[in-house]
Amino acid sequence: MCGIVGLHLKNPALQPELGRLLVPMIEAMTSRGPDSAGLALYDDEGMHVVKDVGLPRDICAAHGIASRSGYQAVGHTRMATESAITPEHAHPFTPVPDLALVHNGSFSNHASVRRNLAFDGITCTTDNDSEVAARFIGREIAGGADLEDAMRMVLKEFDGFFTLLVTTATQFAVLRDSFACKPAVIAETADYVAMASEYHALAELPGIADARIVEPEPERVYAWSR
Amino acid sequence: MIDPTQAGLRESATFDRATIASIQRAAETGVYDIRGWGAKRAVPHFDDLLLLGASMSRYPLEGYRERCDTDVVLGDRHASNPLHLDIPITIAGMSFGALSAQAKEALGRGATEVGTSTTTGDGGMTPEERGQSKNLVYQYLPSRYGMNPDDLRSADAIEIVLGQGAKPGGGGMLLGQKISDRVAGMRTLPAGIDQRSACRHPDWTGPDDLTIKILELREITDWQKPIYVKVGATRTYYDVKLAVAAGADVVVVDGMQGGTAATQEVFIEHVGIPTLAAIPQAVQALAELGLHRKVQLIVSGGIRTGADVAKAMALGADAVAIGTAALIALGDNHPRYADEYAKIGSAPGFYDDYQDGRDPAGITTQDPDLAKRLDPVEGGRRVANYLRVLTLEAQTLARACGKAHLRNLEPEDLVALTIEAAAMARVPLAGTSWIPGQNF
Repeated sequence: MCGIVGLHLKNPALQPELGRLLVPMIEAMTSRGPDSAGLALYDDEGMHVVKDVGLPRDICAAHGIASRSGYQAVGHTRMATESAITPEHAHPFTPVPDLALVHNGSFSNHASVRRNLAFDGITCTTDNDSEVAARFIGREIAGGADLEDAMRMVLKEFDGFFTLLVTTATQFAVLRDSFACKPAVIAETADYVAMASEYHALAELPGIADARIVEPEPERVYAWSR
Repeated sequence: MIDPTQAGLRESATFDRATIASIQRAAETGVYDIRGWGAKRAVPHFDDLLLLGASMSRYPLEGYRERCDTDVVLGDRHASNPLHLDIPITIAGMSFGALSAQAKEALGRGATEVGTSTTTGDGGMTPEERGQSKNLVYQYLPSRYGMNPDDLRSADAIEIVLGQGAKPGGGGMLLGQKISDRVAGMRTLPAGIDQRSACRHPDWTGPDDLTIKILELREITDWQKPIYVKVGATRTYYDVKLAVAAGADVVVVDGMQGGTAATQEVFIEHVGIPTLAAIPQAVQALAELGLHRKVQLIVSGGIRTGADVAKAMALGADAVAIGTAALIALGDNHPRYADEYAKIGSAPGFYDDYQDGRDPAGITTQDPDLAKRLDPVEGGRRVANYLRVLTLEAQTLARACGKAHLRNLEPEDLVALTIEAAAMARVPLAGTSWIPGQNF
């Protein structure tokens, strides 16, 4: 009910191509999430977030995504489940500076985690379950945790189904729940790490035929740093 | 004799047959009625709640392949040796005296077989019970009958009992016919004489004193044992806050449907609040302190099925305790004793005269001939079976709600069938977003 994509460039020569490589990836996820879409792109000036309702193609065109450069990006196409279709409910969720989270799945105990966060003074602005996970990870990172450790804490606190892709200014991390039933594929070459809900989102990337391709294992954090 | 309903006679709802019989009995004897069991009147209960299983917006878990864990740790707030239980269903405190030694042993055997705890009661710890219980909670009661520091140290946890759902504000009773030489010896009381337990602890009168008492118990047990505080459900929000402030590791809340071995009928039916109404109060108190699921909440009073377990946990309990249901699993109220129940003026499904010691099933008696009817090994097997079924049922429902652990059930998984239950449980009336008393 959602599609997620991500691209982490290892080869600086590809940085001017970030947007051009990303657009076909997120467009390929249109059928998984036609309600709304969002992206977070990272360049030397920081993280730039675009979220809107509508089709990925239109959103990318309206915001000139294809011409953007940068070293890392995540994207999400949303099919809403239990919360409204608005730009605010679209992913990525970016609760603290430079942190972006995209999620495919549904948490089954997010109301309890939301209450625990509220007790600590951390308030969610939407009723979206994914925002709860973003704010949880944001709290852990703000408290000094490394992204990988914060992702492992998700395994302890959250129940339900999830494939998560979370980025910071320096890290790119993927995690699936213990059942690992929400799809995910990671492709890695010397030039990049790419992640998507389905392989066809990666099919147009350069050198994909020679990439090391893995389906992420359950409950294992896959992380890359720059 | 005519059939009153066929003859078109109308029975009074106010003066129904049980009420008329109780007035007649009172007029004849001049004494109030004492009985066992818990509240028999209909009150809003877990049956008035429904779970929202997964459908499209959420995913269920597959029953036979995908895990749904059930373990729980009790008492890790301050105790160095908290209880690690495999299932969140414990056996509530019931005394040797109220129950036969065989029944106590059977409860211990059953609980141990499935990895949970059982609990002593007024009158102390029996060697049979200690020997067959891997996790034994030792009750510390107002009467102090049978209390000694050696047993305190040999227990796995200590439960300070302030009250009981069947009789909050009252003490227990044990009538003379159940005070055998052995029971009398353990309580240092004369045999055969009616005994009333105190309604309050003799050496403290409030939460300030309780703080000191808890520290004393921790010193005696070297800060190893979890310390529970058990209250009968009345002003539960305040009681839970005070129990936590006094230093409890675990709070036990017993609703008005919780059983007793012997209490005045008027007390059982008219004091306390339903379990359903107590849980949200307790959870609110813990949550406001930031200690929900850190100080564990055990809920008892009317737990019968895995649905009750799942719903209690969804409302915020960490575990539940069963008492009456465990006795039924042992054989209480079994139709096989129909003739014998008739001889003592009762019937299967109605028997509640736990106070009089003539239990045909050999459970609530000290009569050696009756007590030996209950084989502790077979009784233990039946209790273990029942606990397994409760667990499997709760897991079935939790999986349907997409939970890989029972503790991840939450109030948002529940709706209520009646306005009363919605208001008490603080969940919406089914099909609406209305929680009476909220959002005004």
